[in-house]
Amino acid sequence: MSDRPLSSGHRRSRLHAVTLALALALAAPVLAQDDARKIVEEAQRRTESKSQRYEGLLQVLDGKGKVADKRWLFTRLGSHGQSKAVLRFLAPAEVKGVALLIVNHPDRASDQWMWTPALQRERRIALQDRSTRFFGTDFSFEDLEERDVDQYRYRLLGEEVIDGAACWRIESTPSEKKISQYTKSEVWIRKDTYALAQVESYIKTAVVRRLKYSNFAQQQGIWTGRRLEMSDLRRNSRTILTLEKLEYNMPLKDEDFTLQALRNPV
Amino acid sequence: MKSLLVLLLFAVPAGAQQFTYRGFAEVQATGYMQPAPQDDGRVWSAALFRVEPAYRPADWLTLSGSFDARVDSAEQVERVWRIDVQDRGLQRPAFSVRHAQATLRKGTLAVDLGKQFVRWGKTDILNPTDRFAPRDFLEVTDADFLAVIGARAQYERGGQSFDVVWVPTFTPSRVPLLEHRWAPLPPQASGSAGFVDLGAAFPQRSQYGARWNVVGPGFEASVSYFDGFNHLPQYTATPLSSRPLIALQRTYAPLRMAGADGAVPLRWFTVKGEAAALFSHSSEADDVVLYIIQLERQSGELSVVAGYAGEVVTANRSLFEFAPDRGLTRAFLGRVGYTIGPTSDVSFEAAVRQNLDGVWLKGQYSKAVGAHWRATLAGAVIGGDERDFIGQYNDNSHVLATLRYSF
Repeated sequence: MSDRPLSSGHRRSRLHAVTLALALALAAPVLAQDDARKIVEEAQRRTESKSQRYEGLLQVLDGKGKVADKRWLFTRLGSHGQSKAVLRFLAPAEVKGVALLIVNHPDRASDQWMWTPALQRERRIALQDRSTRFFGTDFSFEDLEERDVDQYRYRLLGEEVIDGAACWRIESTPSEKKISQYTKSEVWIRKDTYALAQVESYIKTAVVRRLKYSNFAQQQGIWTGRRLEMSDLRRNSRTILTLEKLEYNMPLKDEDFTLQALRNPV
Repeated sequence: MKSLLVLLLFAVPAGAQQFTYRGFAEVQATGYMQPAPQDDGRVWSAALFRVEPAYRPADWLTLSGSFDARVDSAEQVERVWRIDVQDRGLQRPAFSVRHAQATLRKGTLAVDLGKQFVRWGKTDILNPTDRFAPRDFLEVTDADFLAVIGARAQYERGGQSFDVVWVPTFTPSRVPLLEHRWAPLPPQASGSAGFVDLGAAFPQRSQYGARWNVVGPGFEASVSYFDGFNHLPQYTATPLSSRPLIALQRTYAPLRMAGADGAVPLRWFTVKGEAAALFSHSSEADDVVLYIIQLERQSGELSVVAGYAGEVVTANRSLFEFAPDRGLTRAFLGRVGYTIGPTSDVSFEAAVRQNLDGVWLKGQYSKAVGAHWRATLAGAVIGGDERDFIGQYNDNSHVLATLRYSF
């Protein structure tokens, strides 16, 4: 290293370099935020469909092994924050006919009503009750909502490999209007297909639920994980949801997504 | 009604895609802690088979029904080979059409025709506005709902719905059998050797009602109106001069109701309220305002509902009536449920009159076994003063075991 004093030109270029580095360092979170949002927007764009239907097989497992099998029929009209969905239990026999109507909104939490045939009444699920497990599964009522890109703020945390696939790791924090049981979530999105690979949901600083997607396949041009494994890390239990008879963009009527329709047994 | 039933039964084999059914077979045993003055039977058993088919032959039409077959040891169930549709008998029918209806839907309008359940109100423990919902009170603390025969039109658009109901045939609540332990004893009964049932005088004219419900982002509210009859009876008690017996006849007072209910979810709990002003132009029925306010919260595996039910008598005229709805007012009511795991849960319910003259406590544990079976063990403790609606059943503390196979 030379002890020779730096010329004024050298001093200027060094100052420029420091300024540039400082500017980049300051701008990095903003860029990461922009990038993260763009990735989530693209992921949402690629999964948009006019409608969706599948039969879900749910296997609820506690720490000791398999406990119960359940089955539901899921139908959705619209996409993301502009959608309505009805989830109707087909099995086990004692909950057959129990149904949930979810009306998603782009800027806030969804509205949800549950119909119980034995009571012949629907009941609105209050926002503060959405952390409750949905009928003995490891999904909470909130987990059944369809997320919209505008409901969260994003930050790119880096890149990671999940099940052999390169993924972006993105932190999403609920916006002020979005009331959530979760403080934040970390979302892994596959770089090759923009499909969700994993979601970890936090309450304060602890991960409480982990949702893993696998068995990816294209269905009518939409990459979909057909096996979802939701783990409740506080209870040490998990629910595996397998999507069967999956279809997108089939004709559905708006009138089948009302409280009236929820009461219909078929 | 018969033609609807025939249509439903013949439609069954045709529709594999749009046909569904559910049902169960259940056996139940009840053990009472002590004999009652009018009934020393301590152990009752009962069995029930229920099947509920539904068929949707077209997008706009759904046919659904529910059919019961039952038997019991306490003779609360008829021993008659007939299929009952009207549900007006003193005893439960051995074979019955629990409900059978056709639902026609066109756009935002739905019309239900036939024997159907109509449930109004938002609170969970007591529903003062639920006027089209007679119940089977043979065992007062475990009362199932009865369907009514009529027509209902519902128009739903956006967050609003409008509901109009017309019921041409009266369905009364089924009251406890005289000589059985759940029978309410009129004051004239003290010292008498027994009762003679003179039957019921059923109202002849139609009942109707309307309800408007609004769902907003931070609230849900409705107003309702009913013009019909109280499904709970008044008793006219006449001592017989020839024998030490009391002759009882059931009558049903004309009733008009103006009601409202609402729910507002707050940060920590949901506040629900319901109130009904009941007016009767009968000279023997009270005018009352019934109301309930409750707080509700679910968190994790725990659900809690707690509230207060009140009553204001605006005109006091009644002689003797069987009124569980009023009997549960001026009381603190609560329910706590806890889901132990995917297959088991426990719950506790309580009703405590504010003057402590009547207390009812119930605990229940339930466990599912495999995909079809569920076993339930429950115990109820009833105490209090014999002049109180709840307290009068202080001999009826019991345990209840139920085994159900669902399909």
